Amino acid sequence: MDEKKDLDKGQCGRRDFLSRLGCAVAGGATALAAGVALAPEGQAAVAAKPNAPKIPGYDWGNHHYAFGVDATKCIGCLRCVEACKTENEVAGDAHHFRTWVERYAHVEGEDKVRIDSQADPVNIAASDSEGQYRFANRYKDVKVDKAFFVPKLCNHCTHPACVQVCPTGATYKTKDGFVVIDHTYCIGCQYCVQACPYGARFFNPVTRVTDKCTWCYHRVTKGLQPACVEVCPVGARIFGDLNDKQSSISQFVANNRVAVLKPETGNAPNVFYVGIDKDVE
Amino acid sequence: MPKHIQRLIFLFIAFGALALTARYYFKDKSFYEFGHYRGDSVVEIARDKPKYKGTAYCQSCHAPQFAEWSKGVHNSADIGKIVKCEVCHGPGGGRDPESGYMHAATGPDHPKDLKLIVPTDTRKLCPLCHEKLEARPAAQAQIVIDEHAGTQQCTLCHNPHSPKTLVGSIVPLLHPGNPATGKSKAAACLGCHGAVGISQGLPGPTLAGQNPAYLAEKLGEYKAGKRNNPIMNPMAAGLSPGDMEDLGAYFSGLKCEVAPDALNQASAGIKAKAAICANCHGTNGVATSRSWPNLAGQSKDYLVTALKAYKAGERTNIVMSPLAKDLSDADMENLAAHYANAVCK
Repeated sequence: MDEKKDLDKGQCGRRDFLSRLGCAVAGGATALAAGVALAPEGQAAVAAKPNAPKIPGYDWGNHHYAFGVDATKCIGCLRCVEACKTENEVAGDAHHFRTWVERYAHVEGEDKVRIDSQADPVNIAASDSEGQYRFANRYKDVKVDKAFFVPKLCNHCTHPACVQVCPTGATYKTKDGFVVIDHTYCIGCQYCVQACPYGARFFNPVTRVTDKCTWCYHRVTKGLQPACVEVCPVGARIFGDLNDKQSSISQFVANNRVAVLKPETGNAPNVFYVGIDKDVE
Repeated sequence: MPKHIQRLIFLFIAFGALALTARYYFKDKSFYEFGHYRGDSVVEIARDKPKYKGTAYCQSCHAPQFAEWSKGVHNSADIGKIVKCEVCHGPGGGRDPESGYMHAATGPDHPKDLKLIVPTDTRKLCPLCHEKLEARPAAQAQIVIDEHAGTQQCTLCHNPHSPKTLVGSIVPLLHPGNPATGKSKAAACLGCHGAVGISQGLPGPTLAGQNPAYLAEKLGEYKAGKRNNPIMNPMAAGLSPGDMEDLGAYFSGLKCEVAPDALNQASAGIKAKAAICANCHGTNGVATSRSWPNLAGQSKDYLVTALKAYKAGERTNIVMSPLAKDLSDADMENLAAHYANAVCK
């Protein structure tokens, strides 16, 4: 006890320390508060500004877009992949894609499903060049129990993990449902590439920033369909506004037993699939 | 308050002030406008120019092709299969040539240089959707190209704008030959094909009024040994491609009229059989494409010989060989008579 009293006399006691710490925290908080008080300066100014981006003839408050993929219709022609590359000027090689198509083949006597995409070396060889895409006829000599194509693209999730991890605010979700990247603010750290559970993002070697599907925001805001939907010859890709109950996507979601990929990740995807099995994720 | 604590508080405040000042100067004015991102970037992303324009854009200049397509099987809205113009022809709008990406089918821009690119290698293009693949839905029309087409291009038989019609709207574009030059080279032909290209009882077929592209193509086949005949092979061996085009132009320009033989009128049964031939050779024996021969006014003996050769396998053609197998000798005689009596041109 004596020792403790000495300690109290000579140095800062617990109670004293806590009270002074309180003062310091209060001081810091005041500074913070000042910062916060100044920060809403931005928000206060927003109130005066229009609350939507000035896109001609388009109001993002009226829309809630979603995408549908009908794997039972896809013929694996890869016109969507080429159209996306052209429309969005993605690097003209066979390794960087905003959208791609996977082929699932259950070969007789094998437990594991065989999966390949147009970026598989066999398929690149079949297309003669890295700038053209085609699925090689590689299962003609084996017995295939079941096989199908699945187009893949960014899911434009409701709770996107990629947006959560972005350190610079370069990637964000728009009010109408698009997850997009502000390429001028992206520093190419690729944290988002790792965060995405679907592998939908990639580092663009030409622009040196991260790149991804935008659902062709520049087309949709002009009343057009995304390029991949525009060229799909069999209607395997469906895009539209869920707010419009008569739109093809609303009908697609309402009339089919749709599935999303990896629902357990909690990202709440907005690309709805029909005709896939448990191996597709 | 001890000095070191005061110092600490001062440092906090100084840092806060510095941070706020920096934020004021460096933060983009539109950041936080709609959320934790630069509000202006939404407009910037939306500003990009679309390159795929849709069918209406193509229709404005290519109305005949659009009409052909819109009636055909490549525009089947009822089964949800619509192969739009830009699926095969590539995007109508301009794109940045610096991007390093060239569309496989179209190459440079359209209509920047006002040149619509037509895919040339249809054996590569059409199988993108129609090659038999395990993963393709059964409802999709699929072929094993080597069995279905041999080494031929798809457009030889199919019109790509409306592929169910067996009419090639796109035919090999040959240089038009010169009939006058052709006449000077034709002397050797006349012995078998007749003085004015009409073989009346002579061993060769009538050439007068025949499609020039077809004639030139067949001469090329004789020269290359793809088609064999003891007389024609040596004849064609000495001809240049230009000679073949000239000869084709000369014979196609000759009058092919022959007096119909009243005794040899075709029966109704034969007319039904002839309907199959009409897909390519035309209802009246005048071919629907420059790739195929006219049959109207052709020598009856020659037609019978040709059909028998197809049936026996002496002459082969991906379309004709299976068709000839189903014909009896009497059918051949009657069909030949039907076309020999048809009015040519």
